[in-house]
Amino acid sequence: MTEANTDIRQIVVPGEILTEDSNFLPGRGAIRKGNKLISIYIGLKEVRGKYINVVPLRGKYRPEIGDKVIGKIVDITSVKWRVDINACDTGALKPKDSMDVYDKRSQRGRAKVSSRELEFEAMKKFGLGDMLIAKIVSVDRVSEPVITTVGESLGKITEGTIISVDVPKIPRIIGKKGSMIKLLKDLTTCRLFIAKNGLVWIRGVSPELENLCIEAIRKIEREAHTTGLTDRIQYYIQEKKQERGLK
Amino acid sequence: MTLLIPETYPKKLIDKNGKRLDGRALDELRPFKCKIGVLANAHGSAYVEHGKNKIYAGVYGPREVHPRHLARPDKGILRVYYRMSSFSVHERKSPAPNRREREISKIIEDALAPTLFLELYPNSAIEIFVQVIAADGGTRCASTTAASLALADAGLPLKSLVAGVAAGKVDGKIILDCGDIEDKAGQADIPAAIRMTDEEYTLLQFDGEMTPEELETAISYVKKGAREIFAKQTAAIKEKFERIRQETDAENKKIGKTDINPDDDMLGDEDSMDMPLELEKGLERVKEDKTKSSDKSSKPEKEVNTLKEESK
Repeated sequence: MTEANTDIRQIVVPGEILTEDSNFLPGRGAIRKGNKLISIYIGLKEVRGKYINVVPLRGKYRPEIGDKVIGKIVDITSVKWRVDINACDTGALKPKDSMDVYDKRSQRGRAKVSSRELEFEAMKKFGLGDMLIAKIVSVDRVSEPVITTVGESLGKITEGTIISVDVPKIPRIIGKKGSMIKLLKDLTTCRLFIAKNGLVWIRGVSPELENLCIEAIRKIEREAHTTGLTDRIQYYIQEKKQERGLK
Repeated sequence: MTLLIPETYPKKLIDKNGKRLDGRALDELRPFKCKIGVLANAHGSAYVEHGKNKIYAGVYGPREVHPRHLARPDKGILRVYYRMSSFSVHERKSPAPNRREREISKIIEDALAPTLFLELYPNSAIEIFVQVIAADGGTRCASTTAASLALADAGLPLKSLVAGVAAGKVDGKIILDCGDIEDKAGQADIPAAIRMTDEEYTLLQFDGEMTPEELETAISYVKKGAREIFAKQTAAIKEKFERIRQETDAENKKIGKTDINPDDDMLGDEDSMDMPLELEKGLERVKEDKTKSSDKSSKPEKEVNTLKEESK
């Protein structure tokens, strides 16, 4: 293996030859063509042991089981809601996946109400255009992803601002072991929820702080492929706070 | 169609010195410029200036197919909408899509499909909208170039970028990259698009007359031109991100951070893929605390002050 881990990760384009050394294996974002490895994204080339990865800089969200996402209700049928989760397909939310507490009325032995009626009742819970924090229950190639709102920190969003960011840059907004998100929370005193599908929920104590937080996130998004970002963001927020006279 | 303002072409398209109308050599490209990420609402977009051609391309998707019956359960479909603005050509073009636009949409689709992994997107469609703002001959090639860049900008996995360029025959000589007049008054025209990793042709059309030898020269010209365009495409993409890197390096110096370990703090670290659970749990707690504290602080401050003053 002749190629060492390069200091600054190179930017590569689709079809660019990553290496012609046959000892390397294609990792994420790379494919083999003959004895060459080529990139399939605009991204950063990264050598990890035997593997060469390309970390994409742009991309669409692909749902995975267990992901927490922010979605918007775009359609209501008699049996389910259809939720726009920023993916190829809309997610399906069924009433039984939105009932927080198991209703005593339908317990065995004293069923006064059928489960169908309960579900019918539950369908009134969310309206068109409601924003939800939901979790993905199942995904496959054939059918649409199924989501649920039952669980900790899930449910309807009633306040705050939601912005959308590039999906591949989400890890950078969270930072290593949550360092960046901690920084944002500490300095702007905003509450944040970063969903895997590229939507970020922000609730600030004041609109000014909320705006500052959004600006900082936009800066992270733009400069996601550079080094020393955490320190720069810290400096940026402190500077802006002083400039605008925020506490 | 009869033109209201007839176009006139010069008799000789190549002068004594072997130079063309705009002073180019026979195998020289027109000036080429491109940019990615130009449309805010598209998932990916690109802008290309090839000679006097000015073309925007926007990519949307993968997303749901409408009408639904066009969806395929085994793979995604690619749809291209090539449109010429009514002000883009010599005489006003009717804005209604015509036969030529449908043809070009189809060939761009065929030129780009071999670079995509369509099997990854069952039941969905990728849609590309190409809008020609100014046309100057060879729009189908320039549009393919733009559409390919837009696909890359959208972050879709691609086998390669595609570069399009045309060759032609004018005054009995083979030329690279026909301009508008050379296209109309010339004897032959070969638009082509090449998938650049393996240099396979994904578009090759022919219109006019050529001898087999001339055709071979034309093909070699096309390859040469496509390589030049590919180099410029690549450079434009890299430049966009490198520029941000340079800016941030300057900022790093400004705040006095020089000892950066490049491996330490980078996009794509597996550690930072998940939001830490304690923070997520903390969300609930913070929610309650904040609401309580903010209620206290926001409500009364003024009132309290005034009350104090009154009591004094």
